[in-house]
Amino acid sequence: MLRELWAARRLLVILARKDFYVRYRRTVLGVVWAVGVPLVQAVVLAIVFTHVVGIGRSFASSQREYAVFLYSALVPWNYIANAGPAASTAIVDNVALAGKIYFPRALPVLVTAASAVYPFSIGIVLLLVMSLVVGSGIGVSFLLVIPGAALTVLFVVSVGLCLSALHVYFRDIRYIVMAVLSVGFYLTPIIYPLGKLQHSHHVLRDLLAIGPGSGPIEIFRAATVGSDSALGLAVAACAGWCVVLGSVGFWLQCRRDRVFVDLL
Amino acid sequence: MSASKTDSVISLRDVSKRYVKYDDQPMLVNALRFRARSRRSTLLAVDNMNLDIAAGESVGVLGRNGAGKSTLLQLLCGVTAPSSGVVAVRGKVAPLISVGVGFHPELTGRENVYVNGTILGMSSAEIDRRLDSIIDFAEVEDFIDTPVKFYSSGMFVRLGFSVAVAADPDVLLVDEVLAVGDFAFQLKCFTRMQEIRAQGTTIVVVSHNINVIRGFCDRALVMSHGQKVFDGPTFEAISEFYSVVGREAKEDLQGAGDLAAHDAVIESLTLHNAAGGEPTLHFDSGDEVALRLRVRATTDIANPVMGMTITAETGTVVYSDTNLMNPFDPLSTDETAEYEMRLALSLPSGGYYATASFHSAEGGSSVLLGRAVPVTFYVSGRSLASGVADLGGTFHRAGS
Repeated sequence: MLRELWAARRLLVILARKDFYVRYRRTVLGVVWAVGVPLVQAVVLAIVFTHVVGIGRSFASSQREYAVFLYSALVPWNYIANAGPAASTAIVDNVALAGKIYFPRALPVLVTAASAVYPFSIGIVLLLVMSLVVGSGIGVSFLLVIPGAALTVLFVVSVGLCLSALHVYFRDIRYIVMAVLSVGFYLTPIIYPLGKLQHSHHVLRDLLAIGPGSGPIEIFRAATVGSDSALGLAVAACAGWCVVLGSVGFWLQCRRDRVFVDLL
Repeated sequence: MSASKTDSVISLRDVSKRYVKYDDQPMLVNALRFRARSRRSTLLAVDNMNLDIAAGESVGVLGRNGAGKSTLLQLLCGVTAPSSGVVAVRGKVAPLISVGVGFHPELTGRENVYVNGTILGMSSAEIDRRLDSIIDFAEVEDFIDTPVKFYSSGMFVRLGFSVAVAADPDVLLVDEVLAVGDFAFQLKCFTRMQEIRAQGTTIVVVSHNINVIRGFCDRALVMSHGQKVFDGPTFEAISEFYSVVGREAKEDLQGAGDLAAHDAVIESLTLHNAAGGEPTLHFDSGDEVALRLRVRATTDIANPVMGMTITAETGTVVYSDTNLMNPFDPLSTDETAEYEMRLALSLPSGGYYATASFHSAEGGSSVLLGRAVPVTFYVSGRSLASGVADLGGTFHRAGS
């Protein structure tokens, strides 16, 4: 299986690039949208949570600081929210091609994860600019975004391998993933820092840190606005999720590779 | 015929493919409850098949819809695994199945060539090298940087075919693709396929178009209900295919021709070479043929008459005739008789149906006594003649 995937690596790159270009092909602004959408999201959230709800101020020293705080979480979260559902349904979505020619069935999962890396990296560059212009500058610690991004991608690939195999059998997966993501947005420390829960809700903080999305976000926070006390736990938990989901997923893909097509 | 195990490029050993069909969609809820799925049925698409194809052979696969042809191709290109048995294919396999299947409408022709070429296993350098010849062959020079959604269906298919044959595979699997494009392009594809074949590429063709298989393959399989029922020279395979079609059509129609209310029993309708011999379903154009109707009378018939109709597969009635004005001798109760119509089959290649009816003539009109189940037969015609009938034209320079 690994050998077949390695043999198909060029196909992976070409298909991922195609995916990305196709997404913005008919738009006037093109790839700008890959940056524009999360930017608008960050601005709106910053305004809402500082002016309207007013909790932003209690989490960060200034409104601008809170905007960076938010955006550093949105960059990895958006990757998960975009690539995750696509990867989970990738095998079924590629039925037209899969029925005609053989390639490892896990390939479309990797393709969706890879094609979303392009906007992800644009988001990271934007985060860098934002930290310099709006926030309080950056240090060497900004390099932490590299392991942070790697962990995010690894997580999406692990989830994708596992769920895309199950999705062939249970088409409910598509909707479950959507539901989990909308709840996950609030259960993941995106709009609030985990550290603030430390004194009052110790157990709650640990539970939220164990949520798989927390790991990447805490690394991105450490790279920009400073690390949280839950960083270690969150990263370890996410790595654990990756190992478990990834091995189950890989095992499923190896076992069912040549029979998926009969069920599509 | 069948190559030995060692030098065969494709080899199937006791291969079966069984599909499980669930009548209800599996639901996560049911699976969690460990509830056994009640309604399921299995379908044996390929049934215990053995096959060896040597390097450089081109083999046709004939069969009616649902005979297992497409599943066989899927097994050969590794899209699906056999339920039991071993499928071994050596070398690079390129399926020429539904060409352009990986094409994305928003991408330009050029971009799609790269994507599709990579899917078919070509490296970027190989595609660079062959790009000009791919574009040239597909005749899309002016549109290569246009998104393929603006392509005509012909251009789309031409480009797809062009990429697929450029992949230079060891084994080329062809599924009904030659039936597309205009005639000129079909001829071009055909020529290109002949070149590929001459290079020693192994080719497997699945087609409903008998002419493609006849012109292209030295050997053909006939499949029926998932089994290989014939494997041999194409010419014989075509005849066998038409007899399978004929047999299965009879099974389908059993009873429909048995009009017991009438005063005669049609015992059989068979086709023979006029020279005599066993019934056959395969003729050459121009053959003298006897269509023989065997009838048993259940009452006295004063003026027995037969009618005979030959219909092309397309539904066109090619010829219909009766001896209404010139009846046979009277037939008494329980007497059995064989009548025949002799004619020269001046027809182009194709499948035809013969239908016969038996009447009693009364004055200028007739009363139907029985109708035979149609018999399908095949005519192998002169290579380029086509149309409803082969009028046997010859070509000369006028005045010489």
